[in-house]
Amino acid sequence: MFPSNVTAATQVGLAAEAPIVEARRLGKRYPGVIALDDVSLSLRAGEIHALLGENGAGKSTLIGLLSGLSNPDSGELLVDNKTRNFTSPRQAQDLGISTIYQEQTLAPHLTVIENVYFGRELKRGPFLDERAMRRRVESLCEEFGLSKTDLDLPTGSLGALKQHVVQILKALAFDARVVILDEPTSGLEDSERQMLFDHMRRMRERGVALLWVTHRLDELFGLADVITVLRDSRWVAHVAPTDQTPDSLVRLMVGRSRNLAESSTVHDGREGLSDTEQAEVLKLTEVTRLPLLRDISLTVRQGEILGIAGIAGAGRTELARVILGADRTDSGEVFVRGRRVLIRNPRQATKLGISLVPEERKTQAILGSMSIAQNISISSLDDVSTGTIVLNNRKEKNAANRFVTELRIRCSGVTQKIGTLSGGNQQKVIIARALFNKPSLLIFDEPTQGIDVAAKTEIYRLIYDFVDKGGAAIVISSELPELVNLSDRIVVMREGRLVGELTGQRRNTTGGTDNELAEKIMAMVAGVTEQSRVAEETP
Amino acid sequence: MIAITAPSQRFSRLLANPSAGAILLLVILIVAMSVAFPNFFTGINAGNVSNQMVFVLLLALGMTVVLITGGIDLSVGSVMGLSAGIGAYTITSGAPLVVGLLTTMAVGAFLGLINGIMITKLGLPDFIATLAMLGVARGALFLWTGGVPIIGYMLPEYYVISGLSQPFGFITVPILIAIVAVVVVAVVLKFTSYGRHAYGLGSSPHAAVLSGVPVARIKVIAYMISGLMAGVAGMIMAGRNTTVAPTMGLGYEVAAIAAAIIGGAALGGGRGSAFGAVIGALVLSITANAINIAGVSSSWQQVVTGGVLLLAVVFDRVSSLIRARSARLATRLAHA
Repeated sequence: MFPSNVTAATQVGLAAEAPIVEARRLGKRYPGVIALDDVSLSLRAGEIHALLGENGAGKSTLIGLLSGLSNPDSGELLVDNKTRNFTSPRQAQDLGISTIYQEQTLAPHLTVIENVYFGRELKRGPFLDERAMRRRVESLCEEFGLSKTDLDLPTGSLGALKQHVVQILKALAFDARVVILDEPTSGLEDSERQMLFDHMRRMRERGVALLWVTHRLDELFGLADVITVLRDSRWVAHVAPTDQTPDSLVRLMVGRSRNLAESSTVHDGREGLSDTEQAEVLKLTEVTRLPLLRDISLTVRQGEILGIAGIAGAGRTELARVILGADRTDSGEVFVRGRRVLIRNPRQATKLGISLVPEERKTQAILGSMSIAQNISISSLDDVSTGTIVLNNRKEKNAANRFVTELRIRCSGVTQKIGTLSGGNQQKVIIARALFNKPSLLIFDEPTQGIDVAAKTEIYRLIYDFVDKGGAAIVISSELPELVNLSDRIVVMREGRLVGELTGQRRNTTGGTDNELAEKIMAMVAGVTEQSRVAEETP
Repeated sequence: MIAITAPSQRFSRLLANPSAGAILLLVILIVAMSVAFPNFFTGINAGNVSNQMVFVLLLALGMTVVLITGGIDLSVGSVMGLSAGIGAYTITSGAPLVVGLLTTMAVGAFLGLINGIMITKLGLPDFIATLAMLGVARGALFLWTGGVPIIGYMLPEYYVISGLSQPFGFITVPILIAIVAVVVVAVVLKFTSYGRHAYGLGSSPHAAVLSGVPVARIKVIAYMISGLMAGVAGMIMAGRNTTVAPTMGLGYEVAAIAAAIIGGAALGGGRGSAFGAVIGALVLSITANAINIAGVSSSWQQVVTGGVLLLAVVFDRVSSLIRARSARLATRLAHA
């Protein structure tokens, strides 16, 4: 793979000068996972270098290595042609490599100026040199759309774009030569996005090398100079945008395995199943909760699995929270089994028959020091009590035993501590907890996160069983193949809106994933519009 | 529409200012006291209040620094007692007064250092580490003294230093010490990179790490400042009481935390100021004084301190809710 990288790089061959940062065959392992495998990359002055890949393709790991958050296990990282081993982000910063992370990394109570110099304050003797810091920030701020009055506001009170700009200033105030931007446009309005692109061009003109991580393929064209694509922790391609279309990039990101490509017509003709006659369990009309959810209308019917696709930050979890009543809606209507409801809190949602199997099992779901039985009964204690006051151990154990058999939870007994189970069995216990509420709608948020392949299949079976018995399910997942194989229908979310709806492969257990469908979803997730697809296909 | 919302917005903004509530409370308190008790607003009583508030003020200053970094120091009362005891003991064993006083302060700072190391190196939660220190320091003082107060260290100069004798009228040496401490802490917080790092660390620990702030050092120094302030307070109290009872400083951590929080320091970190600590200490001392003048049992003082602390936290919670709501309202208006 490495030789082809070199040739590709020379083909693109924009600058003859030496790269500022050169990553050579970097690898990074965590227990049980290869996070990055043999990835090479060069960053040159005055060049915008786009980094593409699906969730989990290794982009974040690569950024972590370049910005000094972690060290590679193999390969070499060169800055100015010298091998470097970063032990802290500070060292990377001192060499002129600044990173603008996806999550906000500003101190919200500090003002703009204070944040720009946070960690590297200018001093005169023992005291802060406020004037010098202000002068430097003022000399930069207007070019990047910050007014002088903004400079004394706490950054927590600024909008998303301005917060990005503060991070850009933070890099430029120290003459950063390399700026790494991790999905900088997520959470920005269209107009704001254009402004951010102007800022990126300005940085390029200043001779900064930019590494730009993005999911939105339509953004790349006209801005990126070179593109590196990662897939499954590996380097896939190094290309020039002029040779590519959004569709060709999607293919590079998703990857097409030839022997499975033929299965792409499996779902044809399924639309005639007339599931429209099934009862609506949940219906949302134009539900809005700013800033993250806008005009969401959808229905989920009995016996149906609805998949929700989208990148992190697209509003999927926020949608689940609104359905559960954990957050209020600003406007829009919610119907449960045809009746309009106002869900005020998750407890009420449970009474209406809506339960959640949350993401982040460790922190949001399991009670690690308690037994399997206690974990199952915790949200339905009334059902295992005598006269709803005194807990009845026998009832609790009986109920737990029923679920252990039904869901095939592998354990030594219901008194075993949940913390000692495998991830898959823990997840089954959590699903049992949700089922104990006798829900008519179950929301699964990343249901197979951190679970091995065999256990995943069993989790899928539990979801099928639930809907076959008359339930309805919403599945949120970042794993596209999982979503495609599991769902009857898939809606795609981007920036808080529903941007498309597709028919899924419906409980495909053959193992072959419909790549064309996956690519279509990926394109929607990434914001490649139909128009741009058509335009690209008819040159 | 605008005419209707404008005053309520102004009111919200006033409520959102962290020190506003405390200042308002202080003004109300002073006015009420002046009306109810004619001898409240006199020079003598002002001197009394000032000399009494020195202890809480010093502890609240240190506590404010710790709270700003996002920590909490429950050990200040015990540290105050133990450092005063050790300092007094060195004087009774023949050391010069200066050595005794420096020892008192050094012991305070050293116990703060231990707190900081337990938290940063051993990774103990702030709450647990300083709670352990509270127990150990107090227990050590009891075991060491056998429950018998330490006496016989009161050299003539100590009377002046502790404010028992007042050669310059009601402006006593402890008040001067407190003023110096307030100014130093204010300057450090506002004008040095240490202060900037402390605010930033409390505001977002994640951002602090990514920005290359020496997080562990900032925390350790914060606990050392708090310990040092407890040592200084202990030094003054040893002179004021002329004996060091093993119970010295008992329960002072509640007053210190209350004063800091009333003054606008946030339990979540990132907020607070030296000025706020002064306001907070004033509020507590004036209420204590009121209880005293009114002739109510001094046991009420603890009830009131606790009650005022509760009020301050509720106020802080309400004002941050208002802030969050107006921020969300602003985005909604921007999109409408």
